[in-house]
Amino acid sequence: MDLAMLFTAFDLPFMARALLVLVVLSLVAGLVGVLVNLRGLEFISDGLTHAVFPGVAIGFVWGGRDGLFVGAMVAALIAAVVLTVIVKRAVTSDAAIAIVFTAMFSVGIIVVSRETNYVGQLDALLFGRLLTVSPAEVNQTVVVCLIALIIVGSTLKEQVFRAFDLEGSRAAGYRPLVLDVLLNVAIALVVVAASSAVGNLLVLAVLIVPGAVARLVTNRLWLLFPVAAGFAILAAWVGLALGYDASVNGGVDLPSGATVVLVLVAGYVVALIVRLALDRTGGPRRARRVAVAH
Amino acid sequence: MAAASFAYDAEPALTGIDFTVLPGQAVALIGPNGSGKSTLLKGILGLIARTAGDVEVLGQWPAPAGYIGYVPQTDQLDPNFPVSLEQVVMMGRYRSLGWWRMPAKADRRAVAEALETVGLGNRAKTRFGELSGGQQQRGLLARAVASAPRLLLLDEPFNGLDQVNRDALIDTVKRLKKQGVAVLVSTHDLDLARAVCESVLLLNGAQVAFGPRDTVLTLANVQQAFGSVGVEMDEHTIVVPGHGGH
Repeated sequence: MDLAMLFTAFDLPFMARALLVLVVLSLVAGLVGVLVNLRGLEFISDGLTHAVFPGVAIGFVWGGRDGLFVGAMVAALIAAVVLTVIVKRAVTSDAAIAIVFTAMFSVGIIVVSRETNYVGQLDALLFGRLLTVSPAEVNQTVVVCLIALIIVGSTLKEQVFRAFDLEGSRAAGYRPLVLDVLLNVAIALVVVAASSAVGNLLVLAVLIVPGAVARLVTNRLWLLFPVAAGFAILAAWVGLALGYDASVNGGVDLPSGATVVLVLVAGYVVALIVRLALDRTGGPRRARRVAVAH
Repeated sequence: MAAASFAYDAEPALTGIDFTVLPGQAVALIGPNGSGKSTLLKGILGLIARTAGDVEVLGQWPAPAGYIGYVPQTDQLDPNFPVSLEQVVMMGRYRSLGWWRMPAKADRRAVAEALETVGLGNRAKTRFGELSGGQQQRGLLARAVASAPRLLLLDEPFNGLDQVNRDALIDTVKRLKKQGVAVLVSTHDLDLARAVCESVLLLNGAQVAFGPRDTVLTLANVQQAFGSVGVEMDEHTIVVPGHGGH
C-alpha cells in the first residue's frame, strides 16, 4: 500500500465522514469497552446487539433510514433496562439472555423479510454501510456518543469501584442496580451509534476488542481508557485506508466495516503475541498474568 | 440492635440479635462457619433484609451511607484486576467526593495517611493483586480508614495472616478505637478478641450470648455456639474436633 494513501484517502468527503464517525465511536467505545472488559460483560453486550436489531428493523421498515435510528434508540433503551433486571433476577442469567435476545433478533429478521428487497436491506443492517453515511447520520452518531460519554464519564470511578468490589461499593452506599442500568444504557447507545456505520453484527468488535487490547498493553487503571480509545482510532484509520487502497489500486472491493474489524482483531492478535512473549522471556512485568478476553 | 432478625429471600439466616456497640469500643462476633457472622455484618450494611426487630446504626435506620467502613474478605476479589493499592484505598474517598469529581489533594493526603496507618506506605503503587493476602487485608482496612468511618465492620480479618500482618492490623484497630470509632469484628481468633474487643457476641444462627468478653467466653457458652461438647478452648483459639484449629 502506498503510505500516502493513509492521508490522501480522506480528502474524499465520504471517506472523511466515515473516519469521523469511527473516531467518535472509537473514543466512546474505548471508554465503555474497558468497563465491559473489567466487568466481564462481553456476553451481555452480545445480547444487547441482538436485542437492538428488531428496533433497527422495525424503524427501517416504518420510516426508512431516519426511522432506523429512532427504532434502534427505543429498542436499545428497553433492552438495556430489561437486561439489567434479567441479570439481577435470573439464576441462570446467561441462558435467559441468550433466549430473550435471539428471539428478538429473529423478530427483526422476520420484520425485514416483509420488505421487497430483503437481502440488500438485511445486508446493510447487519454489516453497515460505512461509506454512504450521510452528514445527518454523522450528527446523530456524535450526539448519541456524547450522551453515552456523559453517562459513563460522570460515573466512571464508581463503575470501576463496582467492577472491582461489588460488596464494598454496596457497603459504601452505591446502588449497583443504578450503576448497572447506566452502564447497560451506555453500551446500548454505543450499539445504536455504531449500527448504521459498521452494522449490527460488527458492533461487538468495536465494543470489545479495544478494551481487551488495553488490558494486554497496560496494568495501570487510568491508562486503560486512553489506550483502548487510541487503539480503536488507529485501527479505524488504518482499516479505512486499507479498504480504500484495495479498491482503488487493487481493484478488490472490500467491505469497509468488516475491514476495520479485521484490523482491530489483527491488532489484538499482535498485542496478545507480544504480551505472551514478554511474559515468557521474563519481561518487565513477569509477575503479570495474561488477561485474555473471553 | 434489639431482637433483630436478618434473612436472605425470606429464609431467616439469623434471629434474635440483641446487642450494642459504643463509640471507641469493639465487639467480637464469634461462632462456627455459617453461624451468621457475615450475615450480621451485611445486615448492618443493609445488603440483606431485616425481617424483625429494631436496628439503629448511629441513631438511624437504614444505616447512614458513608459512616460505615467495611472490610470484606479478600478472597472475593479478582487478583488480576488492574488497580493499584493506592487506587483501592482511594475508593474509600469516593463517597465523600460525589459523582463527577476527581480526587483532590486532601483526598490524596488522606489515602497516604491511611496507608501509613496500616504500615503499607511504601507499597502505594503496587498492583493490588500482587500483594500478599495479609497486605491486601490491610489495604482494605486502609480503604475503610480513608473513608473516616464511625463504625468499622471487619469480616474475618485474620484469615491466613502471618504475625507481622496480625500485629499491624491489631495496632490499626486499636488506634481507630482511640479516635472513637466503634468496631465490629467477626473472627475465629481469640487472640484478636482478647487484644481489641471489650465484648463478645456468640452466634449460632441465633444469639447464644452477649456481654463482656470474659463472662461470655466460657467453655459452656462456646460449646453451645459450636454445637459440640468436644469443643476445647485455650488462651488463643477454639478447637473444634474434625475442623482443625479453629
